[in-house]
Amino acid sequence: MAFSGNFMCTSFKKELMEAVHNFKNSGGNTFRIALYTNSSSFTAATTAYTSSNEVSGTNYTAKGNSLTRVDPTTSSTTAYTDFADSTWSSSTITARGALVYNDSASGDPTVCVLDFGSDKSSSSGDFTVVFPTASSSAAIIRIA
Amino acid sequence: MIPAGAEISSAMGSVEVHTTSQRGASPEEVAQRCVDKIVSVSDSANPLIQQQARAFKENIHKVVEFYVRQGIEGYKTDLYNEALKAGDDSLAKIIRRL
Repeated sequence: MAFSGNFMCTSFKKELMEAVHNFKNSGGNTFRIALYTNSSSFTAATTAYTSSNEVSGTNYTAKGNSLTRVDPTTSSTTAYTDFADSTWSSSTITARGALVYNDSASGDPTVCVLDFGSDKSSSSGDFTVVFPTASSSAAIIRIA
Repeated sequence: MIPAGAEISSAMGSVEVHTTSQRGASPEEVAQRCVDKIVSVSDSANPLIQQQARAFKENIHKVVEFYVRQGIEGYKTDLYNEALKAGDDSLAKIIRRL
Protein backbone atom coordinates (compact mmCIF):
# COMPACT_ATOMS: atom_id res chain seq x y z
CA MET A 1 0.00 0.00 0.00
CA ALA A 2 1.58 3.25 -1.12
CA PHE A 3 1.12 6.21 -3.38
CA SER A 4 1.88 5.27 -6.98
CA GLY A 5 1.68 8.50 -8.96
CA ASN A 6 -0.58 11.43 -9.83
CA PHE A 7 -4.02 10.63 -11.16
CA MET A 8 -7.01 12.55 -12.43
CA CYS A 9 -9.79 10.36 -11.03
CA THR A 10 -11.84 8.50 -13.61
CA SER A 11 -15.05 9.17 -11.69
CA PHE A 12 -14.23 12.89 -11.88
CA LYS A 13 -14.11 12.76 -15.69
CA LYS A 14 -17.56 11.19 -15.72
CA GLU A 15 -18.86 13.68 -13.17
CA LEU A 16 -17.67 16.56 -15.36
CA MET A 17 -20.18 15.35 -17.94
CA GLU A 18 -22.84 15.18 -15.27
CA ALA A 19 -22.27 18.79 -14.10
CA VAL A 20 -21.29 17.66 -10.60
CA HIS A 21 -18.34 20.07 -10.34
CA ASN A 22 -18.24 23.84 -10.66
CA PHE A 23 -14.78 25.44 -10.57
CA LYS A 24 -15.92 29.01 -11.22
CA ASN A 25 -14.29 31.60 -9.03
CA SER A 26 -17.63 33.19 -8.24
CA GLY A 27 -20.31 30.82 -7.02
CA GLY A 28 -18.31 27.64 -7.62
CA ASN A 29 -18.10 24.62 -5.33
CA THR A 30 -15.82 24.31 -2.31
CA PHE A 31 -12.81 22.15 -3.13
CA ARG A 32 -10.50 20.91 -0.41
CA ILE A 33 -7.09 19.27 -0.21
CA ALA A 34 -6.49 16.55 2.38
CA LEU A 35 -3.07 15.08 3.22
CA TYR A 36 -2.27 11.36 3.60
CA THR A 37 0.44 9.04 4.78
CA ASN A 38 2.11 6.53 2.48
CA SER A 39 -0.16 3.81 3.87
CA SER A 40 -2.75 5.09 1.38
CA SER A 41 -3.20 3.39 -1.96
CA PHE A 42 -5.03 5.90 -4.13
CA THR A 43 -5.30 5.43 -7.89
CA ALA A 44 -7.41 6.75 -10.76
CA ALA A 45 -10.15 4.50 -9.38
CA THR A 46 -10.38 6.53 -6.15
CA THR A 47 -13.84 8.08 -6.03
CA ALA A 48 -14.28 9.96 -2.75
CA TYR A 49 -12.57 11.57 0.22
CA THR A 50 -11.75 9.19 3.05
CA SER A 51 -10.40 9.79 6.54
CA SER A 52 -8.50 6.50 6.36
CA ASN A 53 -4.73 7.13 6.53
CA GLU A 54 -5.28 10.90 6.60
CA VAL A 55 -2.40 12.58 8.41
CA SER A 56 -2.71 13.92 11.91
CA GLY A 57 -0.46 16.54 13.39
CA THR A 58 -0.24 19.95 14.99
CA ASN A 59 -2.49 22.46 13.20
CA TYR A 60 -3.84 19.91 10.75
CA THR A 61 -7.56 19.23 10.93
CA ALA A 62 -9.37 16.36 9.28
CA LYS A 63 -10.62 17.06 5.73
CA GLY A 64 -7.69 19.41 5.13
CA ASN A 65 -7.65 22.94 3.74
CA SER A 66 -10.22 24.70 1.62
CA LEU A 67 -8.74 25.67 -1.76
CA THR A 68 -8.94 29.02 -3.53
CA ARG A 69 -10.21 28.42 -7.06
CA VAL A 70 -8.70 29.98 -10.17
CA ASP A 71 -11.44 30.80 -12.67
CA PRO A 72 -11.53 28.30 -15.57
CA THR A 73 -10.31 29.79 -18.81
CA THR A 74 -9.05 28.78 -22.25
CA SER A 75 -5.97 29.23 -24.38
CA SER A 76 -6.16 28.10 -27.98
CA THR A 77 -8.05 24.78 -27.81
CA THR A 78 -7.20 23.99 -24.16
CA ALA A 79 -9.48 24.71 -21.21
CA TYR A 80 -7.93 24.73 -17.77
CA THR A 81 -8.41 25.58 -14.14
CA ASP A 82 -6.14 25.72 -11.12
CA PHE A 83 -5.93 26.46 -7.40
CA ALA A 84 -3.90 28.87 -5.29
CA ASP A 85 -1.14 27.39 -3.13
CA SER A 86 -2.33 25.94 0.16
CA THR A 87 -0.41 26.29 3.45
CA TRP A 88 -0.72 24.69 6.87
CA SER A 89 1.17 27.21 8.96
CA SER A 90 2.82 26.55 12.34
CA SER A 91 2.30 22.88 11.62
CA THR A 92 4.05 19.63 12.38
CA ILE A 93 2.99 17.25 9.63
CA THR A 94 4.43 14.40 7.60
CA ALA A 95 2.57 13.55 4.39
CA ARG A 96 3.31 11.54 1.27
CA GLY A 97 0.42 12.74 -0.90
CA ALA A 98 -2.97 14.37 -1.11
CA LEU A 99 -6.49 14.16 -2.42
CA VAL A 100 -8.30 17.11 -3.96
CA TYR A 101 -12.04 16.67 -3.60
CA ASN A 102 -15.32 18.52 -3.92
CA ASP A 103 -16.66 19.27 -0.46
CA SER A 104 -19.88 20.77 -1.85
CA ALA A 105 -20.96 17.74 -3.83
CA SER A 106 -22.73 14.79 -2.28
CA GLY A 107 -20.29 12.12 -1.08
CA ASP A 108 -17.19 14.36 -1.32
CA PRO A 109 -16.17 13.09 -4.79
CA THR A 110 -12.46 13.25 -5.65
CA VAL A 111 -10.89 15.32 -8.39
CA CYS A 112 -7.32 14.07 -8.36
CA VAL A 113 -4.65 12.18 -6.47
CA LEU A 114 -1.36 13.96 -5.82
CA ASP A 115 1.79 11.97 -5.11
CA PHE A 116 4.55 14.07 -3.49
CA GLY A 117 7.19 11.50 -4.50
CA SER A 118 8.48 11.12 -0.95
CA ASP A 119 7.43 11.95 2.58
CA LYS A 120 7.37 15.72 3.15
CA SER A 121 7.54 17.09 6.68
CA SER A 122 7.07 20.38 8.46
CA SER A 123 8.14 20.86 12.06
CA SER A 124 6.65 23.91 13.80
CA GLY A 125 6.77 25.43 10.34
CA ASP A 126 4.89 25.83 7.07
CA PHE A 127 3.68 22.93 4.95
CA THR A 128 2.81 24.37 1.54
CA VAL A 129 1.42 22.59 -1.50
CA VAL A 130 2.46 24.72 -4.47
CA PHE A 131 0.06 24.32 -7.39
CA PRO A 132 1.41 24.80 -10.92
CA THR A 133 1.09 27.99 -12.92
CA ALA A 134 -2.41 28.47 -14.32
CA SER A 135 -1.54 28.01 -17.98
CA SER A 136 -2.59 25.76 -20.83
CA SER A 137 0.63 23.78 -20.50
CA ALA A 138 0.94 23.50 -16.71
CA ALA A 139 -2.37 23.98 -14.87
CA ILE A 140 -3.49 21.29 -12.49
CA ILE A 141 -6.57 20.36 -14.60
CA ARG A 142 -6.53 20.70 -18.36
CA ILE A 143 -8.84 19.54 -21.15
CA ALA A 144 -7.56 19.81 -24.70
CA MET B 1 -15.62 19.40 -39.81
CA ILE B 2 -13.83 17.47 -37.09
CA PRO B 3 -10.93 15.49 -38.57
CA ALA B 4 -10.97 11.74 -38.12
CA GLY B 5 -9.02 10.69 -35.04
CA ALA B 6 -9.46 14.04 -33.29
CA GLU B 7 -10.03 13.47 -29.61
CA ILE B 8 -10.47 15.25 -26.35
CA SER B 9 -7.79 14.58 -23.80
CA SER B 10 -7.32 15.56 -20.20
CA ALA B 11 -4.04 16.31 -18.48
CA MET B 12 -2.88 17.06 -15.00
CA GLY B 13 -0.19 19.42 -13.81
CA SER B 14 2.13 18.51 -10.97
CA VAL B 15 2.47 20.12 -7.57
CA GLU B 16 5.50 20.87 -5.43
CA VAL B 17 5.66 20.74 -1.65
CA HIS B 18 7.67 23.30 0.30
CA THR B 19 8.18 22.79 4.01
CA THR B 20 10.01 24.59 6.78
CA SER B 21 11.25 23.61 10.21
CA GLN B 22 11.05 25.86 13.28
CA ARG B 23 10.28 28.90 11.08
CA GLY B 24 7.85 30.25 8.53
CA ALA B 25 8.56 30.74 4.84
CA SER B 26 11.01 33.60 4.29
CA PRO B 27 10.22 36.65 2.12
CA GLU B 28 12.75 35.33 -0.42
CA GLU B 29 10.97 31.97 -0.64
CA VAL B 30 7.53 33.55 -0.96
CA ALA B 31 8.81 35.99 -3.59
CA GLN B 32 10.32 33.12 -5.58
CA ARG B 33 7.01 31.22 -5.58
CA CYS B 34 5.20 34.35 -6.65
CA VAL B 35 7.62 35.14 -9.48
CA ASP B 36 7.55 31.53 -10.70
CA LYS B 37 3.80 31.94 -11.19
CA ILE B 38 4.15 35.27 -12.99
CA VAL B 39 7.09 34.57 -15.31
CA SER B 40 8.08 31.31 -16.96
CA VAL B 41 10.91 30.99 -19.43
CA SER B 42 10.67 28.40 -22.17
CA ASP B 43 13.78 26.32 -22.78
CA SER B 44 12.93 26.34 -26.47
CA ALA B 45 12.80 30.14 -26.75
CA ASN B 46 15.47 32.11 -28.58
CA PRO B 47 18.52 32.40 -26.24
CA LEU B 48 18.38 36.20 -26.35
CA ILE B 49 14.71 36.17 -25.37
CA GLN B 50 15.51 33.69 -22.58
CA GLN B 51 18.24 36.03 -21.30
CA GLN B 52 15.88 39.01 -21.33
CA ALA B 53 13.12 37.03 -19.64
CA ARG B 54 15.47 35.84 -16.89
CA ALA B 55 16.69 39.38 -16.27
CA PHE B 56 13.07 40.56 -16.09
CA LYS B 57 12.25 37.73 -13.68
CA GLU B 58 15.16 38.70 -11.45
CA ASN B 59 13.96 42.30 -11.29
CA ILE B 60 10.39 41.26 -10.55
CA HIS B 61 11.73 39.02 -7.77
CA LYS B 62 13.42 41.99 -6.10
CA VAL B 63 10.26 44.10 -6.30
CA VAL B 64 8.00 41.34 -4.96
CA GLU B 65 10.40 40.50 -2.14
CA PHE B 66 10.56 44.16 -1.11
CA TYR B 67 6.78 44.43 -0.89
CA VAL B 68 6.46 41.09 0.93
CA ARG B 69 8.83 42.55 3.54
CA GLN B 70 6.78 45.77 3.67
CA GLY B 71 3.64 43.71 4.30
CA ILE B 72 5.36 41.84 7.12
CA GLU B 73 6.52 45.10 8.72
CA GLY B 74 2.97 46.45 8.58
CA TYR B 75 1.59 43.28 10.16
CA LYS B 76 4.27 43.35 12.85
CA THR B 77 3.21 46.90 13.74
CA ASP B 78 -0.39 45.73 14.06
CA LEU B 79 0.65 42.82 16.31
CA TYR B 80 2.91 45.11 18.36
CA ASN B 81 0.02 47.49 19.02
CA GLU B 82 -2.36 44.65 19.86
CA ALA B 83 0.14 43.28 22.39
CA LEU B 84 0.57 46.74 23.94
CA LYS B 85 -3.21 47.21 24.13
CA ALA B 86 -3.45 43.84 25.88
CA GLY B 87 -0.86 45.05 28.40
CA ASP B 88 1.81 42.57 27.32
CA ASP B 89 4.82 44.84 26.88
CA SER B 90 7.33 42.00 26.81
CA LEU B 91 5.47 40.25 23.96
CA ALA B 92 5.30 43.59 22.12
CA LYS B 93 9.08 43.91 22.40
CA ILE B 94 9.60 40.37 21.09
CA ILE B 95 7.37 41.10 18.08
CA ARG B 96 9.22 44.32 17.34
CA ARG B 97 12.56 42.51 17.39
CA LEU B 98 11.44 39.78 14.97
